Amino acid sequence: MTLHFLHRHVLEDHLAGFETRPNPNHVTVYRRPLILSVLAHAGQEAAVFAHLAGMPGMDVRVCGPGEWMIVSAAGSRRAEEVAEELGALGGASVIDQSDGKVLLSIGGPSVRKILAKCLAVDLHPDVFAEGQSANMLCCHVAANLARTGLEMFEITVPRSLAGSVFEELMEMGREFALTASFSGG
Amino acid sequence: MTSYRLDAGGAVNRAQALEFSFDGRSYKGLQGDTLASALLANDQVLMGRSFKYHRPRGPVTAGSAEPNALMTIGSGARAEPNARATTVELYQGLVAASQNRWPSLNHDFGAVNSLLSPFLGAGFYYKTFMWPAAFWEKVYEPLIRRAAGLGKLVLQADPDRYEKSWAHCDLLVVGAGPAGLMAALVAGRAGMRVILADEGFQAGGSLLCESASVGGQPAAAFAGTVLDELAGLPNVTLMARTTVFGWYDDMVFGSVERVQKHLASPSPDLPVERLWRIVAKRAILASGAEERPLVFGGNDRPGVMTATAARTYLNRYGVAVGGKVAVFTNGGAGYRTAADLAVRGVEVTAIIDARGQSSDVGPAGVRVIRNAGVISTRGKRRIDGLVLERSGFEEAIDCDALAMSGGWSPIVHLMCQRGAKPVWSDEAQAFLAPDVGSGFVAAGSSAGLTSLSACLRDGADKAATIAAELGFSAVPAVPVEVEGEYDASFAPVWYVPGAKDKAFVDFQNDVAVQELGIAQREGFRHIEHTKRYTTAGMATDQGKLGGVNTAGIVAAMRGVTPAEIGTTTFRPFYTPVSFGALAGAAQGSHAAPVRTSPLHGWAKKNGASFVESGLWYRSAWFGRDGEKGWRDSVDREVRTVRAHAGLCDVSTLGKIEIFGTGAAEFLNRIYCNAFLRLPIGKARYGLMLREDGIVFDDGTTSRLGDNHYVMTTTTAYAAEVMTHLEFCAQTFWPELDVRFVSVSDQWAQMSLAGPKARIIMSRVVQDDLSDAAFPFLSARSVTLRGWLKARLFRISFSGELAYELAVPAGLGEAVADAIMDAGREEGICAYGVEALNVLRIEKGFVTHSELDGRTTADDVGLGRMMAMQKPDFIGKRLSTRFGLTAADRLQLVGLKPVEPDKQIQAGAHLLKEHAQPSLANDQGFVSSACFSPTLDSFVALAMLKSGRERMGERINVWDALRRVEVPVDVCSPVFVDPDNIKLHA
Amino acid sequence: MASLITCPHCGTRPKEEFAIRGDAEPRRPSAGDRDEAWLGYVYTRDNRKGRIHEYWHHAGGCRRWLVVERDNLTHAVYGVTDAAQFPKAEAAE
Ligand SMILES: [Zn+2]
Repeated sequence: MTLHFLHRHVLEDHLAGFETRPNPNHVTVYRRPLILSVLAHAGQEAAVFAHLAGMPGMDVRVCGPGEWMIVSAAGSRRAEEVAEELGALGGASVIDQSDGKVLLSIGGPSVRKILAKCLAVDLHPDVFAEGQSANMLCCHVAANLARTGLEMFEITVPRSLAGSVFEELMEMGREFALTASFSGG
Repeated sequence: MTSYRLDAGGAVNRAQALEFSFDGRSYKGLQGDTLASALLANDQVLMGRSFKYHRPRGPVTAGSAEPNALMTIGSGARAEPNARATTVELYQGLVAASQNRWPSLNHDFGAVNSLLSPFLGAGFYYKTFMWPAAFWEKVYEPLIRRAAGLGKLVLQADPDRYEKSWAHCDLLVVGAGPAGLMAALVAGRAGMRVILADEGFQAGGSLLCESASVGGQPAAAFAGTVLDELAGLPNVTLMARTTVFGWYDDMVFGSVERVQKHLASPSPDLPVERLWRIVAKRAILASGAEERPLVFGGNDRPGVMTATAARTYLNRYGVAVGGKVAVFTNGGAGYRTAADLAVRGVEVTAIIDARGQSSDVGPAGVRVIRNAGVISTRGKRRIDGLVLERSGFEEAIDCDALAMSGGWSPIVHLMCQRGAKPVWSDEAQAFLAPDVGSGFVAAGSSAGLTSLSACLRDGADKAATIAAELGFSAVPAVPVEVEGEYDASFAPVWYVPGAKDKAFVDFQNDVAVQELGIAQREGFRHIEHTKRYTTAGMATDQGKLGGVNTAGIVAAMRGVTPAEIGTTTFRPFYTPVSFGALAGAAQGSHAAPVRTSPLHGWAKKNGASFVESGLWYRSAWFGRDGEKGWRDSVDREVRTVRAHAGLCDVSTLGKIEIFGTGAAEFLNRIYCNAFLRLPIGKARYGLMLREDGIVFDDGTTSRLGDNHYVMTTTTAYAAEVMTHLEFCAQTFWPELDVRFVSVSDQWAQMSLAGPKARIIMSRVVQDDLSDAAFPFLSARSVTLRGWLKARLFRISFSGELAYELAVPAGLGEAVADAIMDAGREEGICAYGVEALNVLRIEKGFVTHSELDGRTTADDVGLGRMMAMQKPDFIGKRLSTRFGLTAADRLQLVGLKPVEPDKQIQAGAHLLKEHAQPSLANDQGFVSSACFSPTLDSFVALAMLKSGRERMGERINVWDALRRVEVPVDVCSPVFVDPDNIKLHA
Repeated sequence: MASLITCPHCGTRPKEEFAIRGDAEPRRPSAGDRDEAWLGYVYTRDNRKGRIHEYWHHAGGCRRWLVVERDNLTHAVYGVTDAAQFPKAEAAE
């Protein structure tokens, strides 16, 4: 007997009924991203980071000293395969978090004004530049924020709290007509 | 009704009339008016009744220090009490109501309090309401509550939205008057990130009411020119209607922006108020100076106001505050007001100068009376005359308004909110801002400067200095020519002697000058004591107008300088801030984040009722048709698990992935039991202690690889345990190679328990699950039929044969559905945390009800787990203390009522049979209780003194709250399957 | 309303991201130390006023334990170091 299991995104119910045409300020929720936690062991931090930075198709998110998330929004690789590649490296421990985190991007001309209501970090591009990322509280929840463009950010939040964070983001974006949809429609 | 609106002048739009109502009567004002200026234009000077004596009051100021003109704005759920009419921006349809009067503003019964005033003086609360104590609740408090209070709270839910936001800048400029505008201009031109915040609805500060010209234009036009340039600079943010109310640690400034308070029907997409936390590298205080009232008999009569207020109503709003205005002054400001009034054709009846001589000259044709003082005023709803005294002779003068000027107090509140005290200056005759370092400096009149040109220059200079310090190159500001400025210097007059009526120091709390004297005579001499005894400075205006006069008068009474008296403590908020703004969006569904399990949807469609557990919503029980209450559901779920099988969501347990060559050693030091030799593929129950030897948390940890473990924690302690592990690893043993990361959210975890668990699980998992292949405490990666990798643990919290299956969260619902399908024939049911609790009580397993921060491992019967041969573990050393090993400690036992249907409730105390309830007779307490469907009896776990020696003893459960006593027998805490036959099946 | 701590790993952050644990000076005694040392470590704190070393956990950020040198009267912050570096810094002094 073979069982088939349907994957369900935690924001499925939250996004149901949203109009599909995105406004200039828009949230994109990635359906099946690939997200892994990478922990470097003592003394291996630089080597591990260098390898991560060179991985094609994977974005590196800084969590703390010797700790990163590697992210592929499109989810084009398999977690086991990536974990094996990094495992072979030695010096790093890797664990799949693709189901434990929700990845969304928020962008548009008012994105900094919206995020200023959600988090305390100064997002002036001179202070928090493109490519930069860090763990921080976002909508009262421990999240990771990455700047992916001048007016574009990606937020990674724990799955169990993603509904709350999403609703709070949308509420704070109300004055700027923030819309939301899953990636790819 | 006389109109006091002038035909021309001011920043009001005469083409845009606005209708509003006050106490049910309709009025017309203009766009650009405040509520107060519009009422004054309509000859409505009487705007409120005073707090204690219910004396008629009109506005004293034209700004945020206003103590008298407090009103309720709006109606229904949007009604807001205690708004200052002098700052409320007029809008079409505004509804205002006066406060603190009954039945009406004109006829107020409370005014009879004036006749009682000898009894309402300083210390009146303390003297009158002291005795007898029994009177407090029934007599005094209701009396005070009815009489006191300015305005009424609305008890309906606030319909509006609020928000909080952060902002960051190089320079925050507080106040957009002359100094603030110049500071922002210089900093903005230098390229700094500047925030310019002003509490008014129109930026410009005193420039808006100044008759001088600046840079060849009228002052107000100059302000407009600067604001236009600032608006064009992308690095400058102008924040109008924004009060910076507090200076907090690390250069964070609290501010409130009134986004839609000036709109009759606010947009639902915007907040009405927004609370800002502004993080500034540097800040300039340019909040200006407050003109001090003079303290003389009858100084609270409606129509008596500061000279600046009179001048503001005239120049900014085009409103004459009267037809015959008298001026009482001790400095140049009074003369300037008289001159401005005269120029606009308003009759000035006299300038009364408290000083003997001065170089100030009144406008042509206006009588100047020097060396004189006002001793009383008359008039009912508006002043209609005054009596002055000069060299022992009294003279009556007719007037319908009185502009008073008692000198200037720089507004330095913000700089004094973090402990620094303002500093008295003999030269300025005022308290000046303290030196709080280069981060935050005062400029302009808030720094004690008295001329417009000096203020403009100071703002520019201070900003240029800061720009240079932060590495910006500031373009030197073009000097601005000021024409027609005046000298605002003054000679202090703290109190005008010979008063024939009450001379008020604090208008809002009705504190008159003689009460300050009483406080001194009765020993309340320290200024903080004087404040509390007289209540001077304790109203919502926090003594903005009266504070310095209080210090000056007390100093004069005591024959010292105000420097020796000092001021009371300045605290946030500068002006009142609504609770709505402080709460922000955190109301209703946004009050707190909600955590939902990956199996939330599964639980919902199976009929779960949810219970909040921290932020989590956990499935409590799964009701079915025909069940009368939760107990029916729980009983059925428990019976089903014991007889067949049940599936329970345990995803909320904390899950921590642990890696490293030091992981085994680390776990061995963290847990009190042994962990070094846990085999790969095995789970072990572990107990963590606190360093004081008390149990901290429990859970299972499984070894998945040589240097790879996964730990589970209780739901409640998931965050605490993670924090504890991090603390131990990072501060105690940084040399150990161990890393961990929370994977709590990655896995949907479900417990399948019951005699049929293996059959059902085998239909979903393709690995061999026979007892030989997958015995109790196995922990391995398995493959679900088809393709899916999962983790399977053979652990049990019910005493039944049980498995915990962990699958990636997004697939949890589908896998749970598959298990339910696989178990249908076997009679599987979903069970919730209530049934889980019954199952574990029946089996004698402990939770945080027992591990309540007071129990040791031995107390709960787990003493044998302690691996004392280990060289060290957290809690080892103190766990052997005498107190923690004493024989009479409370120990875990089971309780069975003599009559099985007698309910026992957790929290009830234990007594020996026939013993009286007393502290001395207390034998312990019930920690967990439930109805056991398996035993068909209520049962309980309890902590009983020397409990393990007392099996079989009959004791009493004494429940004082519910007034029940239940005789019970002490028994083993393990009610079912004491030999673990089912567990190992 | 707010205060800010500059994490050496994450930058300037609001206090909401941190949890404070108290004095960072007491060292966990070794297993064989005297009873007095253990009692002192677990129970006795001087509760000093002024410039102190405190444990702060960056719970909402990098999850590192930090040692903040701070005046607990004025909240002037003199330095923030990773707790793992703290004993070494002490030894170097
Ligand atoms: Zn950090």
